[in-house]
Amino acid sequence: MDLRPLVLAVVVSAACGGHEAALATRHEARVFAGGVTPPAGTAPALENPFHGDRRSAVEGERTFGAMNCDGCHGGGAVGWVGPSLRDGRWRYGGSDGEIFRSIYYGQPHGMPAYGGLLPAGAIWKVVTYLQLLEPPANVPTQSWK
Amino acid sequence: MTRMAVFTLLAVLPAGGVAQRGDWPMPAKDYAATRYSSLGEITAANAGRLRPVWSFSTGVLGGHEGQPLVVDNTMYVVTPYPNVLYAFDLTREGYPLKWKYRPSVDPNALGIACCDAINRGAFYADGKIVYNLLDGHTVAVAAATGQELWKTKIADLSQGETTPVAPLVVKHRVIVGASGGEFGIHGWLKGLDLETGRIVWTAYNIGPDSEVLAKAGIFKPFYDRGTDLALTSWPADVWKSGGAPVWGWMSYDPDLDLLYYGTGNPAPYNPEQRAGDNKWTASVLARRPEDGTLVWAYQFTPHDSWDFDAASEMILADLVVGGRPRKVLVHFDKNGFAYTMDRATGEVLVARPFVDVNWAKRVDVATGRPVVDSTKLTGASRGNVKDVCPSLEGGKSPASPAAYSPRTGLFYLATNNMCMDYQATQATRIAGTPFIGANTPYHAGRGGNLGAFIAWDAAAGKKVWQTPERYPVWSGALVTAGDIAFYGTLDGWFKVADAGTGKVLWRFKVGSGVVGNPITYTGPDGKQYVAVYAGIGGDWFLLSGDVRSDDPADVRPPADFMPDIARHTSQGGIVWIFAL
Repeated sequence: MDLRPLVLAVVVSAACGGHEAALATRHEARVFAGGVTPPAGTAPALENPFHGDRRSAVEGERTFGAMNCDGCHGGGAVGWVGPSLRDGRWRYGGSDGEIFRSIYYGQPHGMPAYGGLLPAGAIWKVVTYLQLLEPPANVPTQSWK
Repeated sequence: MTRMAVFTLLAVLPAGGVAQRGDWPMPAKDYAATRYSSLGEITAANAGRLRPVWSFSTGVLGGHEGQPLVVDNTMYVVTPYPNVLYAFDLTREGYPLKWKYRPSVDPNALGIACCDAINRGAFYADGKIVYNLLDGHTVAVAAATGQELWKTKIADLSQGETTPVAPLVVKHRVIVGASGGEFGIHGWLKGLDLETGRIVWTAYNIGPDSEVLAKAGIFKPFYDRGTDLALTSWPADVWKSGGAPVWGWMSYDPDLDLLYYGTGNPAPYNPEQRAGDNKWTASVLARRPEDGTLVWAYQFTPHDSWDFDAASEMILADLVVGGRPRKVLVHFDKNGFAYTMDRATGEVLVARPFVDVNWAKRVDVATGRPVVDSTKLTGASRGNVKDVCPSLEGGKSPASPAAYSPRTGLFYLATNNMCMDYQATQATRIAGTPFIGANTPYHAGRGGNLGAFIAWDAAAGKKVWQTPERYPVWSGALVTAGDIAFYGTLDGWFKVADAGTGKVLWRFKVGSGVVGNPITYTGPDGKQYVAVYAGIGGDWFLLSGDVRSDDPADVRPPADFMPDIARHTSQGGIVWIFAL
């Protein structure tokens, strides 16, 4: 049994003071696109501790680049091979807890589970960054002259 | 052009194949990768009378790169993910399906494929249709029945490898590679057994000689000396995630028994994380198909700092260069230079820009190295380097293969007229996530048109004519004995040009942007037909702004360098067939 990911997870979690235990799964399973199956049952209604905080959003934006999120969702999260995250629309829900869970557990069709790589606090700052992105004035209509 | 010899390699049929002259049994029609057909019923005089005779929605929205095959009155079509294989019966009214094959493909591959879930097509050999699934498997399917004969795992999604490349089959070897230059893979080529699918050999493109299959006395690059070149041109251990994917096209010379293919970019895009030449990324490699032994290699862009993959096709032709008949390989690189090389030795004979180039002043054919403009070198410490031409989409995209007519002696290709700013940043490798480290916005090059379709004289290194296009041109080219060339545009026009002058003789709006490659074949009635896919995608799924309409939770702003492309096209896969 390969224990390295578990050790890494504990170290990251401890070093960053995360208040939620990192996922106890192998590295491949965590970063592998599609992520990890969330636990069964109703999701707890999580609240973003940094909601609306611009300094946290700046840190979140940095993490968005450092953890290669922009490699799929594009610089500024405008959409690339992965969907746009700044159009005010959410495939898997846009509440605090829903965005957190998408990042933490991953989503089908390619979104890796970052729960084992990032402490909860860092994920919440990414959530804060995404929530503060201003959607364009008229998302549903594009017109040409 | 009249100085050129006008003979070409005859297509060598795969063992046991039954392909006929009017068939299209492999991606580029023949092993020389010419995309030339000797069919001449459709000519410049009558092309204006072309009309659509059939179309079929593939039911898939991803970018429809690649091309159909036609063998024995059956057309084979591979879709983007989920990689459905359709077999159409061309002998019956309306071309109904004989069968379709629905492989099980891991949807996780969608998060590992850098640039849309495309597929570059299949290969017909020995009664089998062989192709790659996006999730790292090669399959062989019985051409007659659609029955799966074998399925082999060749690539590892968790390491960032996906497999949209079209295989090449030489005798009993199926040659395959993997994408992942944006995911820090350790690039390779593999040879499988055609009968069983067993992996017979694996040859890495970077690493020690033992892994690269470079053997003393056999491996003789024209410009380089020494051992472990693909190891010593890297910092320690960095080569292990150094890229060199294989996602373009392969060709084969049966006389020399050499297989040619190009490798993609080094990873990450920030060159300061990988000092050295980074061999053999952005290179052409010549191997023995039987066991993968490396015979020669040449690097087009040493220490690539601009994402200049060399994955474009290597077209094999016999040309008179400098007064001497030469067996050459012609390659249109993303870096904007067209190379005419001796394909036995890897010597560069001619290297001239086919689009505007400013990252290098020229290529020194004595040393084989580009003379780089140091103000265009990139890196995280250099900030935003402005106006590099061409852009990383390439002077020509490897996704849009060129064609060569032995009748005119000219090469025909889709080109891009785009430049970029290049801001490199430090990148962190997390296996299975992107490993890039650059922000690279594009703008139009000189003239404002974003693309052009051109004819190129590879013996002289000169452009003969060009037809400007409003948008980047991303379709493959087809040229025929009727002295006409076919191509498609991103805004959804399929066009025929006079091969001598470039004059557009006919066009038809095919319903979605064209990023596929036209083919031509003889139908059961003896007539000449032309087929092409519509279905914008590939990089243009990422870059075009809002051309997708299937996801209410994904609405994108227009692309700043071509804000109105979505006015002319949306996603959607359609197979089209045309005839007189």
